Amino acid sequence: MDQSSPFEDQLAALLPRLRRFAHALSRDPTDADDLTQATLERALHSKAQWQPGTRLDSWCYRIMRNLWIDTARSRSRRLAREAPEEKGLNIGQDPRPGIEAAVDLRRVMAAMTQLPDKQREVVALILVEGFGYREVSEMLGLPIGTVSSRLVRGRTALLAMVGEQ
Amino acid sequence: MTEDEKFFAWLDGELDPAEAAEMAAKAAADPELARLAEQHRALGKRLRGAFDPIASAPVPEHLHQALRSTAQVIDFAAAKRARAMRSLPQWAAMAATLAIGVFVGTMVPQRGSAPVEVESGKLYATASLNEALDGQLASAPSGDVRIGLTFRDQAGKICRSFTQSASSGVACRDNNRWQVRGMFAAPEGQGSDYRMAAGMDPNFAGLVDSTMAGEPFDAVAEKAAKARGWK
Repeated sequence: MDQSSPFEDQLAALLPRLRRFAHALSRDPTDADDLTQATLERALHSKAQWQPGTRLDSWCYRIMRNLWIDTARSRSRRLAREAPEEKGLNIGQDPRPGIEAAVDLRRVMAAMTQLPDKQREVVALILVEGFGYREVSEMLGLPIGTVSSRLVRGRTALLAMVGEQ
Repeated sequence: MTEDEKFFAWLDGELDPAEAAEMAAKAAADPELARLAEQHRALGKRLRGAFDPIASAPVPEHLHQALRSTAQVIDFAAAKRARAMRSLPQWAAMAATLAIGVFVGTMVPQRGSAPVEVESGKLYATASLNEALDGQLASAPSGDVRIGLTFRDQAGKICRSFTQSASSGVACRDNNRWQVRGMFAAPEGQGSDYRMAAGMDPNFAGLVDSTMAGEPFDAVAEKAAKARGWK
């Protein structure tokens, strides 16, 4: 991405990918877009802390992941209170086109939500978002061995859940 | 790295060429390993296939809007600092408070007891708002007031964000009372029952952000702060 374009333009260009990561972290499209919005706002507020020349995408992903952890507790409370029957998976602004894709996303998403948070974020960052181990290790502040072992556990559990197909 | 981890690192293209060649030979010679590699490649493909449509879907307008409107929040916070530095005469601050008071007053005219009262130029929570700020934990919502975040401001006072009816605001401890620092009407159709509600109204988000020092309390800290009488 052109590093010389204004910060806000670079953020706007990252939006689709940030949304995808938000959907991998959250189980509900509304939560995912709230998370994306909160991430944008936090990024804009913390603009001065971002060092030009470093990767803006990693920086934003880290913000999103930290916000998500901050709100995970209240989110699970809310889900337990209001939506035990997986509301939200059918919400109107669902961005998923096509029935088949929706069915598969649904199944894969359901499996993702079964993963412990620590495995889910690593699976999403590496297998969905395409970051390298080293990038994720720096982003999450974890030893690379921890990233690697969480990834092994997460993807092994996922395969067991969604089957081979 | 365990053998398992090495195998997956190979799948993910994380091994150096020598190690990768070694693992590739191993997988080629071991049908079990080859099958596992195939299954995991397919899993990765399915994962991307499932989530990619989100990244290629049009971004909802309200998110683009957030990008634009938060730029205004920054201006809002900057404007606040600029105001403070110019140190406006007392009457101007009073007028600003009064404006909030009038705003709040017109916002909830039908309620028997207004949620706020003005005293010595400051706005304080009363009635159900005061009770909720005093006693309610974010984890246990009840009544028509919902508590969002609890945090300290730059002066170390405990503050709490709240949502009542269609408005959201922030109140901080001031002489054993809750001084309302600001209150905004929620945009039409946006009930904010979520801890992330600060993400919804840029004005409210700006108020929370410019008031908060450090991180918000977690459930344990919130409970402890309540037990200490919000000191």
